[in-house]
Amino acid sequence: MTIRVLPSNLVNQIAAGEVIERPASALKELVENAIDAGAHKIEVSLTGGGKNMLSVTDDGIGMTADELSLAVERHATSKLPDGDLFQINFLGFRGEALPSIGSVAKLSISSRKKGSAEGYKITVEGGKKGAVEPTAISSGTRIEVRDLFYTTPARLKFLKADSSETAQCVDMLQRIALANPHIAFYLYADGRKKLALNDCNGAVPEARRQRVADVMGTEFKENSVPITAQNEFCDISGFVSLPTYHKANSLSEYLFVNNRPVRDKLILGAIKGAYQDMMMSGRYPVCAIFIHVNPRYVDVNVHPTKAEVRFYDNGSVRSLLVGAIRNALSFGSQHSANTGGLEHLLMRQITAETERMKVIPKIGDLLVHDSAREYPHFQRPISTAPAHHRSMPEVNLPQLEREFSVRVADEPSPQTLEQVGELGLAKAQFHNTYIISQTEDSIIIVDQHAAHERITMEHLKQSITKHERIPAQMLLIPEIVDLSALDKENILEYSKTLAELGLVVEEFGASAILVREIPALLGDTDIQKLIKDLAAEISEWGNAYALTDKIHHICATIACHGSVRAGRALNIEEMNRLLRDMEKTEHSGQCNHGRPTYVKVRLVDIEKLFERR
Amino acid sequence: MKFIIEKAVLLKTLGHVQNIVEKRNTVPVLSNVRIEADSNGISFKATDMDTEITEVIDAKILENGAITAPAHMMYDIVRKLADGAEVELTYPDEKDLLKIASGRSEFSLPTIGVEDFPAISADTLPTNFEMKRDELKDVIDRTQFAASTEETRYYLNGLYIHPKDEGETKVLRIVATDGHRLACVESPLPQGAENMQGVILPRKTVAEIRKLLDDSAAETVKIALSDSKVRFSLEDITLASKLIDGTYPDYERVIPTDNNKILEVGVKSLATAVDRVSVVAERTRAIKVIANKNHVILTTSSPDLGSSAIEEIEAVYDSESLEIGYNFRYLLDILSEIKGDTARFSFKDSSSPSVIHDTSDSSAIYVLMPMRV
Repeated sequence: MTIRVLPSNLVNQIAAGEVIERPASALKELVENAIDAGAHKIEVSLTGGGKNMLSVTDDGIGMTADELSLAVERHATSKLPDGDLFQINFLGFRGEALPSIGSVAKLSISSRKKGSAEGYKITVEGGKKGAVEPTAISSGTRIEVRDLFYTTPARLKFLKADSSETAQCVDMLQRIALANPHIAFYLYADGRKKLALNDCNGAVPEARRQRVADVMGTEFKENSVPITAQNEFCDISGFVSLPTYHKANSLSEYLFVNNRPVRDKLILGAIKGAYQDMMMSGRYPVCAIFIHVNPRYVDVNVHPTKAEVRFYDNGSVRSLLVGAIRNALSFGSQHSANTGGLEHLLMRQITAETERMKVIPKIGDLLVHDSAREYPHFQRPISTAPAHHRSMPEVNLPQLEREFSVRVADEPSPQTLEQVGELGLAKAQFHNTYIISQTEDSIIIVDQHAAHERITMEHLKQSITKHERIPAQMLLIPEIVDLSALDKENILEYSKTLAELGLVVEEFGASAILVREIPALLGDTDIQKLIKDLAAEISEWGNAYALTDKIHHICATIACHGSVRAGRALNIEEMNRLLRDMEKTEHSGQCNHGRPTYVKVRLVDIEKLFERR
Repeated sequence: MKFIIEKAVLLKTLGHVQNIVEKRNTVPVLSNVRIEADSNGISFKATDMDTEITEVIDAKILENGAITAPAHMMYDIVRKLADGAEVELTYPDEKDLLKIASGRSEFSLPTIGVEDFPAISADTLPTNFEMKRDELKDVIDRTQFAASTEETRYYLNGLYIHPKDEGETKVLRIVATDGHRLACVESPLPQGAENMQGVILPRKTVAEIRKLLDDSAAETVKIALSDSKVRFSLEDITLASKLIDGTYPDYERVIPTDNNKILEVGVKSLATAVDRVSVVAERTRAIKVIANKNHVILTTSSPDLGSSAIEEIEAVYDSESLEIGYNFRYLLDILSEIKGDTARFSFKDSSSPSVIHDTSDSSAIYVLMPMRV
């Protein structure tokens, strides 16, 4: 066998293997081309999940006959006008998409240059380029891809069912749409409209807010806070969900670097870090984050589908992002998710237990008719209730008397009223566990243990940072931990940060480190595991949260034991004090385990419940 | 099998053996105690496969035989019987169960045949020596607290025992450490232990034997060792156990020999002062000891609560002033094992191990690693 240069058709097929994984990736390339062409409206249509036919129509600048012929050649692009790979202002730049698609499918491109009278069409089938012919088309470009992967049956075999490929295409288009609010996007699958996003007007932030709501739903809009941060070469904006609104995987973390959808480990890691000890473990936030970096400071040419990027200064991007999210969450930290709380519960009860609901309002009547001040305990109105109430078979009165221990507020002192914040005025405690408070437009139910736990935890965390460094127990017998050479370097790189947390390590031979001191809080702990966890985390996420995690976990346990328990009766001053403390404490919307500390039931929703609205 | 026994005697024995039995077992017979009546008396045996305890007691035997029955249930039954009652155990009763009868109470318990009961094989253990009961109690008390509970460093989860030549005299050394502090106690070398290999006694075994020592009236304890097993015999009770299979670290390397700043201080006054000031540092467990000429200042603080404490006590100290941090729990553990009036601390600096011992007793030394506060 002699070495030879591969024919261009094969080269294109190899490139297609990297760039075009599935219909969604072909869609991405084509839509990005349309965006780069300055389109205002992009229409996508697909049949058979994009396997049979996939077409993208835009109203962009279009191409002349000559350009059309060049466009399907490898490494032909209009997007690097200065020939400078470090000044990339377009989404594409590799000049590979069209020839790659052309080599594995039947591609036809029709286009009319803006201002020109004639339209042209070219076809490429399995890498064979046809002639340019005149065709009828309105201004813009229409690209049609038929029989994707017909030249590479192996790839075709690995595609999923039509519905799943369609879903991936929709997801891809949504991602792109998030970054381009000024462009209208439509997607039809097998003739049915799947996505219709009108163009959003106004300045970028306004338009983006609108588009995020359109794509991610109103639920997200209600349960998210905006983030924003800048430094000299990087600008971050977007929306992140409150810690009580989360998903089981990280797929709902929409990330964009210079309007390019990415899934970059550095950014995902930073998000994880920012939500540390506010999110239940194994849950992920929902967010749309847009990072703008001067193209000089970011390398997008590291991944064939551009899913990863490299920043010139990783650390500053990370800290800027973590700072921005933390800031936003502290700002919105008293908020707890509205959905999934009582609102949903009530809805479910109405539908599933209509029968029982008929009874419950009657019990409510008792409370409404007999004024609360007259009867400080709920038990009393029940025991003095008229006979027909007692005979209701559905209500077990002794049971109810035992369980409904309600403490109701006396007239609040003017002093208490003065301090009332957004969590309202405590009205009652029931089941010795939940505090009910009332605000202007809603009722708030607070889980007293969860809320106090968070307050204690934040105090503890502050006290730890008040020490210049965390007290460290020096080891009589230093522990030697064997690591791979890479892990060792990773740990040593972070040794200064770790030392501030009380973990002092030294280099020990080529592939081991010596642990000299450990945080005293950890006591007699498994040092090997701690170091290995840290090493794994540093190499995966580029940060060393495992140790802070562990320390916070211990704080959380201490906090849990040092907080008022469920079942402890509180008087009204104590309840109000708790609410005021919650208003002052960061992240008080969720407890240390990520559960909500309170739910808000809006008056409007209650009115809906009683069909007053 | 049938015998009659006094409740108090039976309860004491069952109390010993049921300690070994795990609460939950995947192998059913391990929840049981093996009871055998023969010409030697009644023997009770229980095991968790690592440790095995046997106790032989006298009783009025009416019929020889052997069987196993649930240990914890038997113990709970016997515990609740009337004091001074006589208990009759019969197997098999008419329902083929173990019958426990006392006064008007009668219990029937399920059984498993003795052939299923595992035996830690009665190997010959080559090293044999005796220790005074009080001596053994003492060395355990003075070291046990320093052993590690962290299971990944399993080789530190026990007491290391080995003979040591100290020039003229030969001693038996008992050592425990958890990597933060170390206790090292010496005892005269018993006859027969001269050539023994160093062994590591598991914490659980040490705790068990310590309980038995309190309960026994025996003058001496016979100890037999191989490189993988140990057996303690006190009159009628025998406790056999596996040893920890591991290499104990070279602990002598961490005992400093060149600490030249000497502080002597009353044990009681120091311990009570540490106990007092530690109230405000419950969370960090850190205490700062500042040694100045002829007095010591103890300080603790909790910056978050804004609390702090300070106490000064008299001491003998003639070197340059030194400030050193400790975990006060560790310090109290050590002080509580110093029985003399005065403790001697020797320091090098605030980041090197300190050595603590009783001025009137050189048989025990404690090494404590400081804390950086």
